[in-house]
Amino acid sequence: MGLKGFILRKVVAACLTIVAIVCVNFVIFRMAPGDPVRMMFRDPRVSAENLQEMRQTFGLDKPLSGQFVAYVKGLAHGNLGLSFSHRRPVLEVIAQKIPATLILVVTALMIAIFLGVALGALSGWKSGTKLDTFVLTASLTMYSIPTFALGIILLLVFAYHIAIFPLGGMATPASLLEGPELIWDVLWHMFLPALSIVIWYVGEYVLLTRSSMIDVMGQEYITTAYSKGLKKFRILKNHALRNALLPVVTITGVNLGFAVAGVIEAETVFSWPGVGRLVYDAVSHRDYPLLQGVFLLFAFSVVLANLVIDLIYGYIDPRIKVST
Amino acid sequence: MNRLSNKIEKLSVFLRLLFSHRMGLAGFSVISLFVLMAIFSSFLGTVDPARTGAVENILKSPSSGFWFGTDDLARDIWSQTIFGSRISLTVGFVAALITVISGTLVGLVAGFYGKFVEEVLMRIVDFFMMLPELPLMIVLAAVLGPSMWNIILVVSLVSWPTTARVVRSQVLSLKERPFVEASRCIGAGSLRLMFGEILPNVIPLMFAQAVIMITEAIYAEAVLSFLGLGDPTSISWGMMLHFAFESGVIARAMWWVVPPIVSIVALIVSFSLLGTAISDVLEPGYKEKKGF
Amino acid sequence: MMKKMNKGTWMAICLMGAFLILFTFSPNALAKKSRLSVGFTTEEALENLQTGEAWQYTEMGAVFWPLVYDQLWIMGPAPDYEPLPMIVERWETDDYLTWRFYLVKNAKFHDGKPVTAEDVAFTLWYLPKSNPAWDYPDNDIEDKSSIKVIDEHTIEFTLAAKWPGKYPPASWMPVLPKHIWMPHKRKLVNFENKKCIGSGPFKLKKFKGGEYVWMVKNKKYWGEVPAVDEVVFKSYGSQDAINMALKKGQIEFIGYNGSSPLSVEDFKKTENVDVAISPGIALVWLGFNLHKENAIQDKLVRQAIMHGIDRERLIQMVYLGYAKPADSFIYPELPIYNPNLPKYAYNPDKARQMLEQAGYLDKDGDGIRNDKKGGQNMSFEFLVPSAWPDEVKLAKVVKEQVKDIGIEIKLKVVDLDTYYEFIYTPKEDKFDISISSEEPGPNGSWIWEFARGYNNGGAGWNQAYYDNPEFDKTLDAMNAETNLEKQKELTFKLQEIMAADLPYAMLVRPDLIGPYRTDKFEGFVETMGGLSTWINVWSYFKARPIK
Repeated sequence: MGLKGFILRKVVAACLTIVAIVCVNFVIFRMAPGDPVRMMFRDPRVSAENLQEMRQTFGLDKPLSGQFVAYVKGLAHGNLGLSFSHRRPVLEVIAQKIPATLILVVTALMIAIFLGVALGALSGWKSGTKLDTFVLTASLTMYSIPTFALGIILLLVFAYHIAIFPLGGMATPASLLEGPELIWDVLWHMFLPALSIVIWYVGEYVLLTRSSMIDVMGQEYITTAYSKGLKKFRILKNHALRNALLPVVTITGVNLGFAVAGVIEAETVFSWPGVGRLVYDAVSHRDYPLLQGVFLLFAFSVVLANLVIDLIYGYIDPRIKVST
Repeated sequence: MNRLSNKIEKLSVFLRLLFSHRMGLAGFSVISLFVLMAIFSSFLGTVDPARTGAVENILKSPSSGFWFGTDDLARDIWSQTIFGSRISLTVGFVAALITVISGTLVGLVAGFYGKFVEEVLMRIVDFFMMLPELPLMIVLAAVLGPSMWNIILVVSLVSWPTTARVVRSQVLSLKERPFVEASRCIGAGSLRLMFGEILPNVIPLMFAQAVIMITEAIYAEAVLSFLGLGDPTSISWGMMLHFAFESGVIARAMWWVVPPIVSIVALIVSFSLLGTAISDVLEPGYKEKKGF
Repeated sequence: MMKKMNKGTWMAICLMGAFLILFTFSPNALAKKSRLSVGFTTEEALENLQTGEAWQYTEMGAVFWPLVYDQLWIMGPAPDYEPLPMIVERWETDDYLTWRFYLVKNAKFHDGKPVTAEDVAFTLWYLPKSNPAWDYPDNDIEDKSSIKVIDEHTIEFTLAAKWPGKYPPASWMPVLPKHIWMPHKRKLVNFENKKCIGSGPFKLKKFKGGEYVWMVKNKKYWGEVPAVDEVVFKSYGSQDAINMALKKGQIEFIGYNGSSPLSVEDFKKTENVDVAISPGIALVWLGFNLHKENAIQDKLVRQAIMHGIDRERLIQMVYLGYAKPADSFIYPELPIYNPNLPKYAYNPDKARQMLEQAGYLDKDGDGIRNDKKGGQNMSFEFLVPSAWPDEVKLAKVVKEQVKDIGIEIKLKVVDLDTYYEFIYTPKEDKFDISISSEEPGPNGSWIWEFARGYNNGGAGWNQAYYDNPEFDKTLDAMNAETNLEKQKELTFKLQEIMAADLPYAMLVRPDLIGPYRTDKFEGFVETMGGLSTWINVWSYFKARPIK
């Protein structure tokens, strides 16, 4: 199989997955109990015409098959429908929340990868020593603590008892700050939620890099490098770490799905106004179009990330190159 | 008879290895503690954890009467923590059981029959593995409504594919082994081959998978409950945190938050340790290294 | 590598330390102008500036629009809750059917255009039509010709039915500028209304949906210009965050519903914070679904349940004593309150006895009585919204108490929107008992519509599927009675029927715990429901900075 065939296969698979996701997404939400249109009104004295009109607005007056066609058509035009609770296009509501989530995730992920890979490489390099055991146990523990539990603890300690961080939100409400002051304010708000995500990730990346490092260290080319008399540091940098990073790259893609979990938890605990919190709010308002939209967004980004990672992997993995 | 004793021998070696593994022992001990706690909840818990208490006992800090203090309905936190282990462990074990059995079946069938069957099943597995887990669980739990059984269902629905994939790759290598070929030659049917010859050899793997699944199920139950998707009338650790978080007084009532968090973390960490130990022990060559 | 690594780690640690130190000095905006900041939760926050449900059914919306828009008349503060003219000088009526309002002459919208009778006529006709919203019995006008613009500052309209009583019609209704809304008259609800041009004492400066509303005082206001320069409604992610903001002085008081009883002691200890404990505006009651075929339909069972509920314990457990027992839709401090209603004192023995005598016996010995008709267990679904933590707690206590008289209650906790959908469709039998809560307010005759029979136009608010022709007759008579004394008698009768029949069983009236800061502002106005509610925006009009 050539590189082209490989790419083609991956792209086709990703497309099929997306189609399946769209179908599943549609089906799940039709299983939900209750009449979403009637739920939109707190005032029960809605006339039948108004209900009917609302149904038409939201495309709920058609039979299921018709709804599905309309849904797919809408999707093709980038139209995810109207949010019940916000009364605005779903896409708009989500788009508004994406930056907040991106800031949080990217920051947390970068710090975590850096720390995790460094500690993991060190631990793997020094495998068997006391340092290694310590790092390993610590990572395993960090990795096992649910983000929301960690978040609550951080909140209690650093926002209540030693009140040096805010209780939540992304910025001081209506602070009307601008420029650098605003950036400081956001960073200050971001510290605890980011930390709760980072801790979880560091654990994971340490474990991963470490085991991959140990694998690589046992390989022949490392032993050869040693026998050539190369310096330890150069071996680590040029040979060991480079190869050990391959699985780390893969897992970053696979992990996006899990990243989403951490984000939902952290955003809920710290009332961070991002997509994760939106999921929670959409659930509590039974805002199906919104929930559908967010779910699609998550699923799409995971599929896409995996595709990209697969392609990168195909490009850098020597074994795939060899087979071309 | 010979075969049975052979198996018992294998099992005892496995257990000895596991208990000589530090992480395994530590994890196993803590888990046993929680299991005992769940079984003997009625004796350990001082009062009915759901029963509201006397007015003067609302939100009291730990004391000799209430070892872990009380919550905002004067309910005993100690008893809640004890009884909470029941829900966590039930969800963990039942969900893991369902997940591992269904996952193994799919993996077995896919790996054994290969070709078209495999292609179809594995595409489904791939598809499920692509879906972001927690959002999917949230969506399903929201649609199905709050109850412990729904959470079990949701967790099982979402996590079986991992097992299926792992089992399949094991089956792929097993079915080429001579002993399977031998059985095939003497005319064993597909079912006999799958369940009689291959399955027994997958069991250790299922065991390891089960431990991982328990961890995930316990975590999922805690998160979903915390997010308000659990059954508000039952008392689980996640639910305790949910109520504490909603009360608006967690700053003052650390004792309400710490026990469930410590319990969740302890249980999950123990299962992770056990899981790590099991996968170490199952690794080829480990036995020899330890001198068995 | 080792050395480098270490350096990196150290640098990271140092950086984190530096962050920590820097962040402890949280940014503090300089307050040159007097800015009154008020806290809401994110759930209470206004998402958009459209009229309709966002303005009526979100807490922030219900307080926001009365600041930016003028009303014909406004409810005065406690204790009298007199109707006070707002953008009118006076009003008159002879028959309580046709009403004439005389507008003030110098009122202007924020964009400089004068407020005229045309604007009032426009709002009166189109706002109630902007269904599903703003549709109250006191603005029910049947056809357009019933609204007459007499001259630029005089308007006359004829209601579909008489509106006698203490309060004039068209209550709690903003006067919308016709020149802006006219193009959207078919669908007022859909107009984005980004500028929010009104004629009220405050002008909108900046708005961010779900986050904040920033208002400045209208210096050119035709009436009394507020003393504070700016009002900012801020939304916080949780009740904890609001409490903390108040302690730190980032807000002056809580915008709606106050704080939890559990936090009272804490606030009392806080410097520069006082706690106003006001009588509540919300009433909490049990709604019985009388449509569903089961023992709940038996009045006696409902009465027995009420005898089985220990309200004193409810009040202590759930509200730490900060609540009063309730027995009527009418608040006890109002003159139309009937003091002689049956109180259903806690008496489990009596409750058990009532059930025994009526034939509800525990035949299978499982501790739960059996229905005398079908023989099934008397086990009822109790609908509670998860968004109301106090009511969830209350339901748990009620469940235990009712268990003692042999009736089982199964809690059905659902999200708020599902809850509303279920309780307003009693015919679909999705619950047996529900917990309900409303804020009737002093001008609360609309609350009786909750019990109007389905055959008599009551579909809608009637959650109980209650149907009593005698009640409906009394209600119609009360609504039409122009003699205040006679109207009071009829209201007394309504209360009696309700308390005897128990379609709704009143439980408690929770106090409002309103912590507020005392260091920057003074002159906050307290009414039932606290410092800031849909019937009380006086705190914003009257607050002044402490010099």
